[in-house]
Amino acid sequence: MASTVVDRETPSTVVERDGAPRGRRWWIEIGWRHVVGIVTIVICIVPLVYVLSASLNPGGTLTGSNQLFRTIDLQNYRELFEGNYSSWFANSIVICTVTSIGTVLMGGAAAYAFSRFRFQGRQGGLTALLIVQMFPQMLAFVAIFLVLLSIGDVFPMLGLNSRLGLIAVYLGGALGVNTFLMYGFFNTVPRELDEAAKIDGATHAQIFWTIILRLVAPILAVVGLLSFIGTFGEFIIAKVVLQRPDEFTLAVGLYFWAADERNARWGLFAAGAVLAAIPVVLLFLALQRYIVSGLTAGSVKG
Amino acid sequence: MTDQQTLEPPAPPEAPGPRSPRRSRGDGSHARNFSAGFVVKLILVALVDALGVYGILAALAVQSWGILAFLVLALVAVNWIYFSKRAVPGKYLIPGLLFLLVYQLFVMAYTGYVAFTNYGDGHNSTKADAVEAISIQNETRVEGSPTLPLTVVQRDGELGFAVVQDGDAEVGTAEEPFTAADDATVEGERVTAVPGWEVLGFAQIAEQQAAITELRVPFSDDPSEGSVRTQDGSTGYVYQSTLVYDEATDTFTDSATGETYTPSESGNFVSEDGDVLTPGWRVGVGLDNFTRVFTDSRLAGPFAQITVWTFAFAFLSVLTTFAVGLFLAIVFNDPRIRGRKVYRSLLILPYAFPGFLSALVWKGMLNERFGFVNEVLLGGADIGWLTSPWLAKLSILMVNLWLGFPYMFIVCTGALQAIPADTIEAAKIDGAGAWRIFRSMTLPLLMISVAPLLIASFAFNFNNFTLIYMLTGGGPNFVGTPVVVGHTDLLISMVYSVAFESGNKQYGLASALSILIFIVVGAISYVGFRRTRKLEEI
Amino acid sequence: MRRSIPVVAATLGLALTLTACSGSGDTGDDTSAAPTESAGATGTLTMWVDDTRINEMEPVVATFTESTGIDVELVQKASGDIGKDFVAQVPTGEGPDVIISAHDGLGEWVNNGVVAPLELGDKAGDFSESAIAGVTYDGKVYGTPISIENIALVRNNALLTDTPAATFDELVAQAKSAGTPFSVLVQQGPDSDPYHLYPLQTSFGAPVFEQSADGSYTDTLSMGGPAGDAFAAYLAKLGAEGVLDLAVDGEKAKQAFLDGQAPYMITGPWNTSAFEEAGMDIAVLPVPSAGGQPAQPFVGVQGAFVSAKSENPVLANELVVNFLSTEAAQDALYAEGGRMPANSASAAKVDNGILKGFGEAGATGAPMPAIPAMSSVWAFWGATEAQIISGQAEPVSTWNTMVANVQDAVDKV
Repeated sequence: MASTVVDRETPSTVVERDGAPRGRRWWIEIGWRHVVGIVTIVICIVPLVYVLSASLNPGGTLTGSNQLFRTIDLQNYRELFEGNYSSWFANSIVICTVTSIGTVLMGGAAAYAFSRFRFQGRQGGLTALLIVQMFPQMLAFVAIFLVLLSIGDVFPMLGLNSRLGLIAVYLGGALGVNTFLMYGFFNTVPRELDEAAKIDGATHAQIFWTIILRLVAPILAVVGLLSFIGTFGEFIIAKVVLQRPDEFTLAVGLYFWAADERNARWGLFAAGAVLAAIPVVLLFLALQRYIVSGLTAGSVKG
Repeated sequence: MTDQQTLEPPAPPEAPGPRSPRRSRGDGSHARNFSAGFVVKLILVALVDALGVYGILAALAVQSWGILAFLVLALVAVNWIYFSKRAVPGKYLIPGLLFLLVYQLFVMAYTGYVAFTNYGDGHNSTKADAVEAISIQNETRVEGSPTLPLTVVQRDGELGFAVVQDGDAEVGTAEEPFTAADDATVEGERVTAVPGWEVLGFAQIAEQQAAITELRVPFSDDPSEGSVRTQDGSTGYVYQSTLVYDEATDTFTDSATGETYTPSESGNFVSEDGDVLTPGWRVGVGLDNFTRVFTDSRLAGPFAQITVWTFAFAFLSVLTTFAVGLFLAIVFNDPRIRGRKVYRSLLILPYAFPGFLSALVWKGMLNERFGFVNEVLLGGADIGWLTSPWLAKLSILMVNLWLGFPYMFIVCTGALQAIPADTIEAAKIDGAGAWRIFRSMTLPLLMISVAPLLIASFAFNFNNFTLIYMLTGGGPNFVGTPVVVGHTDLLISMVYSVAFESGNKQYGLASALSILIFIVVGAISYVGFRRTRKLEEI
Repeated sequence: MRRSIPVVAATLGLALTLTACSGSGDTGDDTSAAPTESAGATGTLTMWVDDTRINEMEPVVATFTESTGIDVELVQKASGDIGKDFVAQVPTGEGPDVIISAHDGLGEWVNNGVVAPLELGDKAGDFSESAIAGVTYDGKVYGTPISIENIALVRNNALLTDTPAATFDELVAQAKSAGTPFSVLVQQGPDSDPYHLYPLQTSFGAPVFEQSADGSYTDTLSMGGPAGDAFAAYLAKLGAEGVLDLAVDGEKAKQAFLDGQAPYMITGPWNTSAFEEAGMDIAVLPVPSAGGQPAQPFVGVQGAFVSAKSENPVLANELVVNFLSTEAAQDALYAEGGRMPANSASAAKVDNGILKGFGEAGATGAPMPAIPAMSSVWAFWGATEAQIISGQAEPVSTWNTMVANVQDAVDKV
């Protein structure tokens, strides 16, 4: 579907390098993109308007009525900060930041190994990494509890009720699908660069830290972002590991408000979700610079 | 973020190789044998070793042999890999692999183990726990027996109870039935002192809780009159066991009927007549859980239909989210668009909200009579978005598209940066059309890094239980089927329905079924992955 | 004691803490000979509470800690997770000492051996029969009832002030006279809602399971037969008349009632607080009978239950049996949380008209079955009722197919 649209709309004319096109040309080359953007954003936002409306209505329902914004009252937001919400927020930011940095480093290192070295079991290892991720996690909540229980006997810091323990569990997934994304991207970095550096006497570690990582910044930012968002929304494992309300992550805390079907506090939940979306959007805004400034930054033309 | 890291390498750099003298960059210390990188490595490995040795000692103290063995092996591996010159790839793989081994593989191993047991409701723990539970559940208070104000007493480390019955104080122990203690002091309704005995206060009772709750003092010389026990240290009741466990023969005997219950292979105590005592315990059942899927007639009916839909759903979900995500990524990959940073950031909004919240909102919006789509957008139409079988399927795909395209959008935006602009520019000058450039250059190049993600996304959607559960619950349901499943159920939600919603929760069965599903998905992914390797060769 | 060394270590740790806490250095061997009357007991109980109840529980257990010296650590859990995690974690020895939960999981816990029987003794007389029935399984009491919940008919006094209806049909007719878009709201959803329809079902004499003489449920379904057929036909009728509409889900029903779009709604106390907050004037009444027999809602009992593997059985019993059961404790819980106390004396003091209305409607109710077989019923039940209400399937035969399928599933368990 997307491809046919591309076919019809993108002109093959050579674009002037300097100065934006005007008039009809502008519409053909640029203007329609704004239309696509606005339409898509409207579709993205409509369901979220319900969430925003519910967050401003202390006693209302989530989707009981299409008459939105009948009451505008910040009570839910005030109530958020009377409870543990701010410490959940902080916990989430810390846990997700550490997890995503860890994932980028470990995943990036693994991708480097797979991309640049030829060793026995490389192919098998790659395939295994991909397939392991597909294993059903149906019993994860029991298994993770058991494993943290025994680890806690030896390393209390990494056991149950520990945020560090939760980060460790999340890092268990560092070598996963994201490794492939990086692996593929690493492969596009010309090997000649490494070879040249090697001839200059650089070690593989220097090549990795100073050449490759810099060149693959876009994908590092993408993986960091994906890992951050993935961790940010994870609550199934987190609610097994963290039991004290002041240690919860946002996802766990929010889940509690919505978990009891009858007593669900949708207003509070919605307010919490609206605020929780802000760091994700801000992070993406901040990382975009890196995402779109790779090898080819600035030279890609539509 | 990444910039900083490239400036100060915190993790495993290598000692300078034999050709280091020719190195052009560096901190000037490479002439000596100990570069800064090596020092960093030394410190890091030393820290890991210290932690590991501490762990080994701690594991030894708590007798966690599994952890001990793992730590020893891990330490040896880490030290060998980082100080050997040969295991270069290992240096980059080991940190991630260690975490993977501990957390992911344990879940796999545990699930695999459970699949061969009858773990689930009624078979939840060990045999010892089951024996204990049956015993306490079958110790009943003698009907019409009095409530006895009770005092816990102790003499030479032997615990006893002092009770007041009909105004008279009596003392007894596990060995000796209650006998009158005329010299005891009774204040209010309970004994406060007995000569020769120490009366325990609540704090002391709390210290010996287990012993006190396990103590049974025979009510009289006649064992059939039962024994006194207490649960709170201050009130006693007369109990009789209706089922008595005999350790020597490993059987339960019903004290009223004399019937004996012997342990069965399926992990229960069973009488000759087939009466079963609960709880049972966890036992291995071999391949039973795996074969049940083929022998359970209830599963046969809708199985084929659900399988087809599961494949269709997973495939179409990947196709639609990728198509839309890629399209949007290409659309906004043009630096001439003003405000594209803002566009992009808003496009990921569906991804930034909790998925189950969005699914609930969509469920409300697609409501047949009152939903936003019918009532507002379509001016009061009566379209059964979630109640007609085909529309429900369509709705699920659309909602999943809404939820999933931002992921593909982010991935494609990143991956597009790897495509050399010069090549594309050259093709354009050669007069290639946009479609041709896309088909023969952009897409193949993109696929190299994105194809494995598409496979993973296929596998994820194949088991996308949450979406189905939140949006339609599998409905609209088939009429009259012996298992409650519906037109939008996936294989995984059928497993859930069979293993968890039909009476007892059966983790063993659920694990076995989900492993079977995993084998199917894994095989498809393996084949798909092999094919993407060919793409790479281009 | 499988994990002997950790236990020893824990005990050592505890001993150290004790020494540190007492701080007076007189904990030598010989001092223990002196009997102490002091309440200086020590130890910590872990109690799981769902997040809607944790705030009311906190001050109440604080009083307990004050008078006994036993610390109670409250752990917040989602209500749906308490039973599940209890079953999963008790066997590891790391579970809680006490949980506060709805009683309908009791059968599962007993079946898994994770809950310990309690002896309420004479205190059992302080509770209503249905409350005790809720925490009883197989003739044994396993918990202390804390509060009671059931649904009833809620009336919007701004639309109608008098309910002369003796039957459900009359009620619908009267409600229609109010001229609102909805008559009697009963929340539905794509899979209907058997819980909210249960008063209608029982009024036809078709309870879900047969009850034995002592009131406990057996595994034999009782939904079939002529009574069940009549109910199925009635459901189809209500569906055709538009009284029941699958599109009216919980959210829509609540919002419609809040907006004054219906004079009546069958719902529970969890919604009435929102109605009151919105300034509505409401009254709570029993649901009129549709089939001639009393309309019995399910009664849910929140109870306190003790883990079978608690390391502090005495302390846990002290809390659950000797403290939470008392009038004073239940008064305090009511004052904090506003839920109908299970203790009869506390309940008698409740002067809130709405809660009293629910209490009266629930007096004749049937305890929610706690037998494991119940979990096989819900999915079939809801799916079938939905198909009947929507007119998608022939009522009587579909209902009977369901009864056969459920009995089959129950017997397989």
